Amino acid sequence: MSQNEFAPWNDPAAKPLIQFKNVTKQFGDFTAVDDLSIDIYEKEFFALLGPSGCGKTTMMRMLAGFEKPTSGTILLDGKDISPIPPNKRSVNMMFQSYALFPHLTVYDNIAFGLKRSAMPRDEIDGRVKDMLRLVQIEKFANRKPEQISGGQRQRVALARALAKAPKLLLLDEPLSALDKKLRQDTQFELMDIQEKTGTTFVIVTHDQEEAMTVASRVAVMNFGKLVQVDTPTQIYEAPNSAYVADFIGDVNIIEGNATKDGDRVSIAWAEGQPDIIGTPSQPIGDGRVSFVIRPEKIAISSDKPADRRNAVQGKVLDIAYLGNMSTYHVEMPNGMVIKAQAANQRRRDSLPFTWEDPVWLSWSDTAGVVLEGSGQV
Amino acid sequence: MNWRRIALISVPFLWLLGLFLVPFFIVLKISLSDIALAIPPYTPTLELSEGWSGLRDLVAQLDFENFAFLADDDLYWKSYLSSVQIAFVSTFMCLLIGFPIAYGMANAPTEWQPTLMLLVILPFWTSFLIRVYSLIGLLSQEGMINQFLMWIGLINEPLMILNTNWAVYIGIVYTYCPFMILPIYATLIKLDGSLLEAAEDLGCSRTEAFWRITIPLSKAGIIAGCFLVFIPALGEFVIPSLLGGSGTLMIGKVLFEEFFANRDWPVASAVAVILLLILIIPIVMYQRNEQKMMEADT
Amino acid sequence: MRRLTWFNATSLTLGFAFLYIPMIIVIIYSFNESRLVTVWGGFSTKWYGELFQNEAFLDAALVTFQVGLISSLIATILGTMGAYVLVRGGRFFGRTLFSGMIYAPLVMPEVITGLSLLLLFISIGLDRGMTTIVLAHATFSMCYVSVVVSSRLVSFDRSVEEAALDLGCTPFDAFRSVTLPIIAPAVISGWLLALTLSLDDLVIASFVAGPSSTTLPIKVFSSVRLGVSPEINALSTILIGIVTIGTVAASLTTKRAALRRKREQQMAEQAS
Repeated sequence: MSQNEFAPWNDPAAKPLIQFKNVTKQFGDFTAVDDLSIDIYEKEFFALLGPSGCGKTTMMRMLAGFEKPTSGTILLDGKDISPIPPNKRSVNMMFQSYALFPHLTVYDNIAFGLKRSAMPRDEIDGRVKDMLRLVQIEKFANRKPEQISGGQRQRVALARALAKAPKLLLLDEPLSALDKKLRQDTQFELMDIQEKTGTTFVIVTHDQEEAMTVASRVAVMNFGKLVQVDTPTQIYEAPNSAYVADFIGDVNIIEGNATKDGDRVSIAWAEGQPDIIGTPSQPIGDGRVSFVIRPEKIAISSDKPADRRNAVQGKVLDIAYLGNMSTYHVEMPNGMVIKAQAANQRRRDSLPFTWEDPVWLSWSDTAGVVLEGSGQV
Repeated sequence: MNWRRIALISVPFLWLLGLFLVPFFIVLKISLSDIALAIPPYTPTLELSEGWSGLRDLVAQLDFENFAFLADDDLYWKSYLSSVQIAFVSTFMCLLIGFPIAYGMANAPTEWQPTLMLLVILPFWTSFLIRVYSLIGLLSQEGMINQFLMWIGLINEPLMILNTNWAVYIGIVYTYCPFMILPIYATLIKLDGSLLEAAEDLGCSRTEAFWRITIPLSKAGIIAGCFLVFIPALGEFVIPSLLGGSGTLMIGKVLFEEFFANRDWPVASAVAVILLLILIIPIVMYQRNEQKMMEADT
Repeated sequence: MRRLTWFNATSLTLGFAFLYIPMIIVIIYSFNESRLVTVWGGFSTKWYGELFQNEAFLDAALVTFQVGLISSLIATILGTMGAYVLVRGGRFFGRTLFSGMIYAPLVMPEVITGLSLLLLFISIGLDRGMTTIVLAHATFSMCYVSVVVSSRLVSFDRSVEEAALDLGCTPFDAFRSVTLPIIAPAVISGWLLALTLSLDDLVIASFVAGPSSTTLPIKVFSSVRLGVSPEINALSTILIGIVTIGTVAASLTTKRAALRRKREQQMAEQAS
């Protein structure tokens, strides 16, 4: 995959397109963005992910120029952009509500920004038509926004924001108004368009699946701070905190006391149970840790697997049947519930386990992540 | 802050300052002056040529004599009282008539609603003066109502309605009714029908559901409507002078006559100041209610 | 829930009868042959003829329309500015005072407004005449325009303006090419309201009008004080007619536009 080759953030010589340097934004007493520094590189598809109120939208609005940082600087191409008003920035935004001009046709909406740029009049028409073609809405050029469907409006908004060929395109929850099926299709289209135009995209979303699908890197935010900035794979497989692990996907968090055991640690988590063997990604000391493991990394079987050191027994408390797979909630002797997932390779009536069945859960030494500290989110 | 923003703010701001706020201070100042046989007919006047000391002299000559006069002469406080009473009674009558209309509108079939709305708004756009005028012919002794009542034999000789307080009540209710209907209708139409169904489901009778659900939830509209009728009715001039009799005391009429017939500007100004003081409480209450309604909407 | 019970039907019928019968009677009697306003003397349009020969009425009507047009125009511009400042102006010194001055005239008794404006004009030495009526009318009707326009400004999506800035508009350009077209219907209804208020005003005009500038309501008032007259009936009928035609036409246009929009939206949903 091309994603493996494209990694300017690992290249010390690469110059970032956007730099946030110790940026803080306060609204009265409320700190929306708290002393935040981040680099975003050219041609990246960068996702800001977090719950509402985490400061992601404020970061985007500071990039667009609708808010000014309380302190710190934001550099675009090495230049401080805070004195530049929104209409003079080569940054365009696709709004969550699309913000299409209701009194103008689709064509005029897309031409709106071009007419206010240095582009000669006779070139505008060609550019608008290119944009209409890019997002496949040539048929609706002469319609007003209220005469087209939600999905088409989303395309017009994208085309309008891309028309001026900005250095940076901001997308504020661009797909939140679409239904699930259309949203998934559009995600791939967005990636396609991003690749075609080579524009740097910064997307704000609260939908972790969306961020994972489209982004080259994801920044997980909480309370105005960055919690982790990494590729989707790293965020999922190697979360740096229980918060990130819990925010992205489903997870089991088991607390215990760690003792070093070579390059592994053994974690005492419950009386009368064998220790969990885990592999920390960086060396950690002895003490309180959280063992974080995804349900799909846990195998479920009726007999104790012979080849794995991590194996615990419990009984099936609940089964969530999801069609392609089932999530089993397994109760441990100490009352703790661990979730394990198994693909449903057979039809439902022949599922291997049912309620109250005693089962074994097992996982490999490297399946989970060991994090220092307690797992309170 | 750039100059464009300053210009944008200051043009309407200065206009209202000069033509709305400053005039009030002039009224206040003249209410503290004395009547004089001069042009303008009051003293002292501000001598701008004397500058600061002119202003000081002016302030020194102001007094509360006119207010003392208002307090002494029972015409004035009787007018205030009677204005409040007339406004209060007619507001209540407006509510009794307006609520059923608003309720009927809100519960009419959806396709009727725009037409019904139009029927309420139409009188609102029609000249106020003409609507008051249209009552004269109806209420006079030879008018339609008396003719009708005598025709069906309910009365033997015409009733005296025009030129009494009755006509003033009818006039206020008739002209201000749309102001009562519209805000009540606006809250009733937003009322979620499933609330009433839920109430009935939980054992309320239909009447009980009306009193326990509909009325409390349309309270803001009822309050807004009452103030929209009460406040202007209190200072009403046209209705008492066209429909009322010589015995009808309303403060708007007294002010007008004091100013034009007696040419006593200081006393007229003092009357205005007191009227304003009386109105401050309902105006503030009305704006509170409006704010609450707006917050409830968002 | 939406069904017409006998109670609702009765209250609607009686209510609208109460609102409309007095005006309908005025209209009927404007076509009465007899000068006596209580006796039907046969159909005639002669009072309309007399009305149009009455110079005093015609002069007053001319003054009224001139005042109405000029003052409503000023009120629309100032009121739209006021609404914009109120909704989009942010914080500035005196904001509370400003919003108070916008809302207070709406509930101010006309006698007070009229008196205070007259005293102002006298103290600055401005002669009473058309100018003073225009100034007075523009002042109180701009507040109505502000309220109408600001309710539209509040309800429309702020990000549309931000999108215009984002695409390279200066704030003024964004107002002219995006905000103004969107709020245009509200500005027009504000203007109509200002015009109606001006044409209708009696009390404030009585204070600030000079002897040379009698408006139609002042003229009507002074002749109505003497009792009912068939000419006033005719005049009322004309005014009621104008308002009715205007209001009905306006509501039909908006209804048709809404229907068309709904149809187009349905088509768009089907097409996708």
